[in-house]
Amino acid sequence: MALSVRSWVANEGGKHLVLVLWLGANTLLFMRTFLLYYCGQQYHYLHQMLGLGLCISRASASVLNLNCSLVLLPMCRSLLTYLRGTHTVRSRKARRLLDKSKTFHMACGVAICVFSVVHVSAHLVNMVNFSVRYSEEFPSLNVARYRGEVRFPGITGILLVLILFLMFTASSYCIRVSNYEIFWYTHNLFIVFYIILIVHVVGGALKYQTNFEAHPPGCLRANQTNPDKTEEESGQAEGDGRSCREEARFQPNSPETWLWVSGPLCLYCAERLYRYIRSNSPVTIVAVVRHPCDVIELRMLKKDFKAHPGQYIVLNCPSVSSFENHPFTLTAVSWFKRFTELLLPDPGAESEILPMVQQRRYPKLYVDGPFGSSSQEVFNYEVSLCVAGGIGVTPFACVLHALLDGWRHFRLRRLYFVWVCRELQSFYWFAELLCALHHKLWKENRPDYLNLQLFVSQTDGLQNISEERYRPLSSRLMIGRPRWKLLFEEIGRTNKHKRVGVFCCGPKGISRTLHRLCNSDRYSGTTFEFNKESFS
Amino acid sequence: NGKIEWAMWANEQALAAGLILLTGGIVGVAGQFRDREFAAYSIAAGVFVCLLEYPRGKRNKGTSVERTGQYCFTVCVKSFGPLTRNYYVRAFLHAAICVPGGFILAAVLGCVCLGIASLIYLAAAIRGEQWEPILPWKESARKPVGESIKLPPQNPPPRPPAEMRRKRAEDLEAAAYVNPIAVTANDD
Repeated sequence: MALSVRSWVANEGGKHLVLVLWLGANTLLFMRTFLLYYCGQQYHYLHQMLGLGLCISRASASVLNLNCSLVLLPMCRSLLTYLRGTHTVRSRKARRLLDKSKTFHMACGVAICVFSVVHVSAHLVNMVNFSVRYSEEFPSLNVARYRGEVRFPGITGILLVLILFLMFTASSYCIRVSNYEIFWYTHNLFIVFYIILIVHVVGGALKYQTNFEAHPPGCLRANQTNPDKTEEESGQAEGDGRSCREEARFQPNSPETWLWVSGPLCLYCAERLYRYIRSNSPVTIVAVVRHPCDVIELRMLKKDFKAHPGQYIVLNCPSVSSFENHPFTLTAVSWFKRFTELLLPDPGAESEILPMVQQRRYPKLYVDGPFGSSSQEVFNYEVSLCVAGGIGVTPFACVLHALLDGWRHFRLRRLYFVWVCRELQSFYWFAELLCALHHKLWKENRPDYLNLQLFVSQTDGLQNISEERYRPLSSRLMIGRPRWKLLFEEIGRTNKHKRVGVFCCGPKGISRTLHRLCNSDRYSGTTFEFNKESFS
Repeated sequence: NGKIEWAMWANEQALAAGLILLTGGIVGVAGQFRDREFAAYSIAAGVFVCLLEYPRGKRNKGTSVERTGQYCFTVCVKSFGPLTRNYYVRAFLHAAICVPGGFILAAVLGCVCLGIASLIYLAAAIRGEQWEPILPWKESARKPVGESIKLPPQNPPPRPPAEMRRKRAEDLEAAAYVNPIAVTANDD
């Protein structure tokens, strides 16, 4: 499948532009600081003592400053939801970039780790040089107390590396997927990291020369007379035009990390505080419905809760675990502040919640959110393709509910809805909703608005939706996996020269295939823009 | 609330600590520090720890994600049997390896990180976790399909006994039996 430049640019262009800008900013900062310490007059003597280690450690420190400040910004989820929702960001392309905020956070995190390694290695070399090249000429420049001293390095640096080690090793993909708690608790050590970081730079081990006009670096050698030299030779050395008027004076660098870091840190802490306050009022559980395939539906009511279709919330149930928060998409949002969602709770949680629920002693639930996600954009395309895998149908269920309330005022003119499930029973979660929407659109004479395709991927056994009232579904049910290429070709043929938004919420295999198809080139001038939902 | 598998985190930590030891050792050798034999030891220890920890173990429940190309490492590590399966052995091994690293500046960080990993392995061992190799799925693990399924059925399906089948005119209610498949009238 040939890669189409136009499709690729439409899908990947924005992300890669941001990546290039970020890499450029890092490189620029690194080179600028490196050259400052390499060539700068005020660092001449220090550079002589420490060599390349000085330049590399300072340059990597400035890159670390930049990344430590940027890494917090993509995690201000309420702020991003606000930017996404209220159309402050007008262009849809820019809003699509917000989908990639977690990826950007991870890129900054990796950069922090890599440059920490560089920084620590350079400082190790600096430590040795401070000791071995102890300077008798400029005693105030030294960090070691005598030549050859082996000094214990800064404790703050070691603590920072240890915290970074704990955070980084707990954030690999397989740990997030299997033991989310380890990831969450270690990542919350970030506040300790930042406090120690601000203390780390106060040490002032590296000093710069304050009076390099009066004492041009290198002039001291001209003043020092070698007893073996004759008068003329030392006179000649002075004759390159610069003379020392005073002794070199040194002052520690003023710490600038707090300038970089304090803004985003305050913003993020404000965001966490806001989310905590907002989520502190418990929700009222109005009803709990059990659905086939171990799925329960919660209907809840919360004061001042406003959400848009496609958004998700984070649930905390203190009777199961006081610190765990799990994200769930909302399946229905209505004007009366009720919202429902479909949960696929893991077996442990379910065994604890269900007995309480069956005895109508509903557990207390706290809800944080709502947060924006890419599914909110379904209504902003003229044609959208929504692909759901199993329980991934929940964001689209919310979209369908919204369409049921009124579809005319959206920009959306046609919706292709493909739902792939392993078991037939799963379709009963939203069978009513799908049939209701189908009937409504037929009555209002827009039968081509919703194109529904249901797939059951487990091919053994006799499978059919036999209820009469679900007849629209049974005639659109297909056994086996969908053939994506054919689907894309069909959509391309019937919607020529349009931009189709592709939304996927499901297993990685499906989303990778769809992403690849969106970037390739065979669809009669139609562009497919890929938007992916992800939670972990 | 599923049980946390500490061994998985300890494995990530030990791998990272091995890399830190390796890097520290290289800096120690290249930067011409004193005590270069400790730096050389740090390189060797780092490589050994990385090789031991590269193959990920199998999770108790759920799908295990392999690291790229870990199959040959899995085979090597598996061949040591109980020495590598047991996490107590690993915990003490890592604790022993990390001690000499504390003698030089360049390897101090690797030593501390490996020490933390060793403690987490100890916690995992106390909870009874074990290292299981991730081996490719064998075809023979599937249940063999019975022979009788390949032939068409020889006999008609079972029916209720004759006295139930015979319609008793005097007692229509008792004569009825429930159809296994719902039968509806054909009106389309």
